[in-house]
Amino acid sequence: MARNRRHDDDDDEEYEEEEEEEEEEEEEVVRRGKGAGGRKRGRSDFIDDTALEDDEDEEDEEDDDDEDFGRGGGGGGGGRGKKRRSGSEFFELEAAVDSDEGEEDDEEGEDDFINDAGADLPDEEEGRRLHRPSILMGEDQEDVDEIERQVYERYAKSSHVEYGDDATEVEQQALLPSVKDPKLWMVKCAIGHERETAICLMQKFIDRADLQIKSAIALDHLKNYIYVEAEKEAHVKEACKGLRNIYSSAKIMLVPIKEMTDVLSVESKSVDLARDTWVRMKIGIYKGDLAKVVDVDNVRQRVTVKLIPRVDLQTLANKLEGRDIGKKKTFVPPPRFFNIDEAREMRIRVERRRDRDSGEYFEMVDGLMFKDGFLYKTVSFKSISSQNIQPTFDELEKFRKPGDDVNGDVASLSTLFANRKKGHFMKGDAVIVVRGDLKNLEGWVEKVEEDTVHIRPKMPDLPKTLAFNEKELCKYFKPGDHVKVVSGVQEGATGMVVKVEGHVLIILSDTTKEHIRVFADHVVESSEITTGVTRIGDYELHDLVMLDNMSFGVIIRVESEAFQVLKGVPDRPEVVLIKLREIKSKIDRRTNAKDRSNNIVSVKDVVRVIEGPCKGKQGPVEHIHKGILFIYDRHHLEHAGFICAKAQSCVVVGGSNRGHGMNGVDALDSRFGGLRSSSNVLQSPRRLPPRGPPTNFGGRFGGGRFGGGRGHDSLVGRCIKIKSGPFKGYRGRVKEITSGFVRVELDSQMKIVTVKRDEISDTPGAATPFRESRFASGSETPMHPSRTPLHPIQTPMRDPSATPIHDGMRTPLRNRAWAPMSPPRDSWEDGNPATWGSSPPYQPGTPPARPYEAPTPGSGWANTPGGNYNDSPTPRDNSYGNAPSPYLPSTPVGQPMTPTSASYLPGTPGGQPMTPGNVGMDMMSPLIGGEGDGIWYMPDILVNTVRPGEDPHIGVVREVLTDGSCKVALGAAGNGETVIALPTEIEMVQPKKSDRIKILSSSLRGVTGKLIGIDGTDGIVKLDDTYDVKILDMGILAKLAA
Amino acid sequence: MFFHIVLERNMQLHPRHFGPHLRDKLVSKLMKDVEGTCSGRHGFVVAITGVEEIGKGLIREGTGFVTFPVKYQCVVFRPFKGEILEAVVTMVNKMGFFAEAGPVQIFVSNHLIPDDMEFQSGDMPNYTTSDGSVKIQKDSEVRLKIIGTRVDATEIFCIGTIKDDFLGVINDPGAAS
Repeated sequence: MARNRRHDDDDDEEYEEEEEEEEEEEEEVVRRGKGAGGRKRGRSDFIDDTALEDDEDEEDEEDDDDEDFGRGGGGGGGGRGKKRRSGSEFFELEAAVDSDEGEEDDEEGEDDFINDAGADLPDEEEGRRLHRPSILMGEDQEDVDEIERQVYERYAKSSHVEYGDDATEVEQQALLPSVKDPKLWMVKCAIGHERETAICLMQKFIDRADLQIKSAIALDHLKNYIYVEAEKEAHVKEACKGLRNIYSSAKIMLVPIKEMTDVLSVESKSVDLARDTWVRMKIGIYKGDLAKVVDVDNVRQRVTVKLIPRVDLQTLANKLEGRDIGKKKTFVPPPRFFNIDEAREMRIRVERRRDRDSGEYFEMVDGLMFKDGFLYKTVSFKSISSQNIQPTFDELEKFRKPGDDVNGDVASLSTLFANRKKGHFMKGDAVIVVRGDLKNLEGWVEKVEEDTVHIRPKMPDLPKTLAFNEKELCKYFKPGDHVKVVSGVQEGATGMVVKVEGHVLIILSDTTKEHIRVFADHVVESSEITTGVTRIGDYELHDLVMLDNMSFGVIIRVESEAFQVLKGVPDRPEVVLIKLREIKSKIDRRTNAKDRSNNIVSVKDVVRVIEGPCKGKQGPVEHIHKGILFIYDRHHLEHAGFICAKAQSCVVVGGSNRGHGMNGVDALDSRFGGLRSSSNVLQSPRRLPPRGPPTNFGGRFGGGRFGGGRGHDSLVGRCIKIKSGPFKGYRGRVKEITSGFVRVELDSQMKIVTVKRDEISDTPGAATPFRESRFASGSETPMHPSRTPLHPIQTPMRDPSATPIHDGMRTPLRNRAWAPMSPPRDSWEDGNPATWGSSPPYQPGTPPARPYEAPTPGSGWANTPGGNYNDSPTPRDNSYGNAPSPYLPSTPVGQPMTPTSASYLPGTPGGQPMTPGNVGMDMMSPLIGGEGDGIWYMPDILVNTVRPGEDPHIGVVREVLTDGSCKVALGAAGNGETVIALPTEIEMVQPKKSDRIKILSSSLRGVTGKLIGIDGTDGIVKLDDTYDVKILDMGILAKLAA
Repeated sequence: MFFHIVLERNMQLHPRHFGPHLRDKLVSKLMKDVEGTCSGRHGFVVAITGVEEIGKGLIREGTGFVTFPVKYQCVVFRPFKGEILEAVVTMVNKMGFFAEAGPVQIFVSNHLIPDDMEFQSGDMPNYTTSDGSVKIQKDSEVRLKIIGTRVDATEIFCIGTIKDDFLGVINDPGAAS
């Protein structure tokens, strides 16, 4: 048996070599072999068998198979005819092994052979005898001829066993290795060199007669080891000595007799490769591609498959014309049907040739066979996988020729059947017979036993139950059945069967109301309607998402493959079904809006709708976008409780009603008043909104701290710009406010000037953000990203002169993380010393989170900036999350930290420290590094301008004005009219993959590049000038206008 | 299909309604509660035609509410598989069209529309035969056969076909005008 296998192995080896080396020739040879029938094959087997016996033969074989045949045919020159005769006669014998005559013949033949061999290699005999002690063992060494005869008999028998089909179990048993047989040793060798090692050993064996090993085997599936057959370990060691692939230290392990057979048994993976089965390619550019088997050659272990070609005609043309070959293309051409005309157009020669076997015509291009646009490729069994092939519909669709009958594909379905899960059929399932005499019989499953399914046929005259093999059955559905898809791509979907096309069902999905095509095999009848998922991809239930047509909405239901989105249309609840790909992005920026009374509404504020269809509803704001609020009212049963309303038609619960019809300074004042009052209201526990989620409010209010209220000093510390008067254009920080006047510390001149109150305008940059972000986040949860860092970034940029002053302070500030910022904020908040003293939350011991949560003044601040400044534009979603901890504990020490500023501006300790704080932020600092969009826009980027009450317009930023507003040329190409838009009214257009982008922040600000990928919130950018690839936050990437 | 059946329901009545008009209150509440609802078993309750019996009320402890078992006759509408219905088209898209027969929404997939009718997109999407003689668009009335139903808690959804004899458009106001 072992020898038998060895022989197999040899065979294999040969084939391998042939395959690799000379496919053409090999084909030739095998065809000849096939043509000649069993005899011829037998002959070659014989030769193979003797390969080990006859060194010369073996050499030949190793060198060249073809020659081997030649030699086999002729034994070199004159001996040809004779040799052939002897061989064939020998096989005659094989066919009738008991025949005496045959034996005689055989002997005759053997004589020839022996003579031949003897003449050639007289001294080999001794060695050979040594090599085969098992044969000789226990046998009298009578006559060489006799021995040889026995040898052949033995081998002949084995080959008989191999190819005959009447080998019985018992005969097989007799061939199992026993203690008398040589043992099998496992030798460790260099990984990847198993075969080489085995061949080396064989060569060595040929070269050196004294080697006492019997065989060397390398198994394809076993790395790092080869097997050597020998009597003794010492023999193995001897043989292995000096081989570079075998380490001298390598241990040699004995394979127990019981396991010897396993070593060489081929697991017959019952590779059920039949025509028309679906397979997948395992290697090459077609890796993973679906292919259909068109021809199987079990002997050569090769299959011909039909594939959708991935051929790049251009490359092919180039190759054929002999240019540009050296350049290796790394990309894999997409699968496309081959078009002869196209190929001809590219002057690729297309031959039309008839296949010898099938008689079909193929188009030959550069050695590739095409037919009907498909590529026909002959590959070995090993390079395809036939297990668990689950072709998708798209793939199958491509393979289907128009006019092909779906039902006709029974064989291909069998592939699918093979992949069935266990327990595929259940009692009560409606099934249809797909093969056999009873094809198309319908019935119901009665009982399932392993592979046998008993069905109760629908036809009345048939027996009560019939047994079928599982594979003969297919599930059957009728239109109107409600089903659930249990496997395949669409797994989980439910729907109603609309149409049955053979074994393919068209289902109307319950959720998307779209048609789905599935295999009947993949569904079960079910009354269930899919729900339960709360997220698909990056989007989760209740997320605010941007849809592709620039509308937006809240996900109110997640279905198996789509979302229900409540669109941000305030007039009526508009629910749309949106598929994942239709969602552009998630909107998680934190914006504010103003309610009817001009109170700031931020997320989690409780508002009441006072007009529109949802009048009277009330609840916390979940999302704000473009002045539209999404309010969650849990008493609202529709749309998952979400109500969409314009901010203008809502009031913050407890908000003020003031603020109507005012403008200029008055408006400012009144708004402040409103803010203040709203703050107060929010603080006041007794006026907590009835349904407000307690978490939102509880503990947020420092309590009494703001009770006294502040005057207009809320502007103190703010960074403003003087918009008229002698100091027009200057920027500075408000130090003090008196009625109608403000004292402003100019950033550029280190002095304080007094300007009229109405001569200033708030700038979006600089100090404000501190408060702002703080408050914004104050009324939200602390972890919300804030924009703080951004503004600082801009400060130096905009007035560089200021930078040096603060430079000195930068270091300490940064070192202490954010520490210094806290005090400033406090101090100016409680601007006057009186309040200052009375701010308990800022005591050193204050739990860190606390200050953050003092929300109230914040909302006030957010819109401090009078009429010309709608809403602080900049700050939105920055990661502020990490800031808090270092920031807070240091609160009390704010003062001492800022000696410089204090010295040059004594008396306003509050406002002072802010400056360094802000400026201290390195503009390029990656830490704060402008993420988010508190960013200054830059020319040439594509933005959406959103004006309240208008539809969003797309436009191109032409120029950025000093106050942050932009000149925007409307139209995607920027050829429309030019308008000036406030930063609040502008939104960046989120770039998509492979869009050209501009970086708005960080050290790369202004650099253009291409977005080559998106990973969550990060974009992968390839810079234009350096070709560097950077990973940057999507928030700072703006789409460049075309 | 419409049925006139007797159903039973436990009604809870607020104590403030106790008085001479209790019965009237109860009936009006019943109508308000029940009419227009849908149950998988009985379908849509179209109208209450009469109250058969009002059982003895039971006062709920703690709330003061009284629970009356009420038996009432009502007309229900329930679509069945295989039923032929007339419906008004409400929406046409390339997948097929949606039609409504009273409270029931029916979808007719394009697979279940005769093959000679093709989808025409545009302002008024419709399915038209090649010769243009028959057109299905919004507001057309069609006769269809229900081939499948799906019953949710609050709605019944059906799939219909017009790919059968004597099915299809029966009146097309759009074409007439």
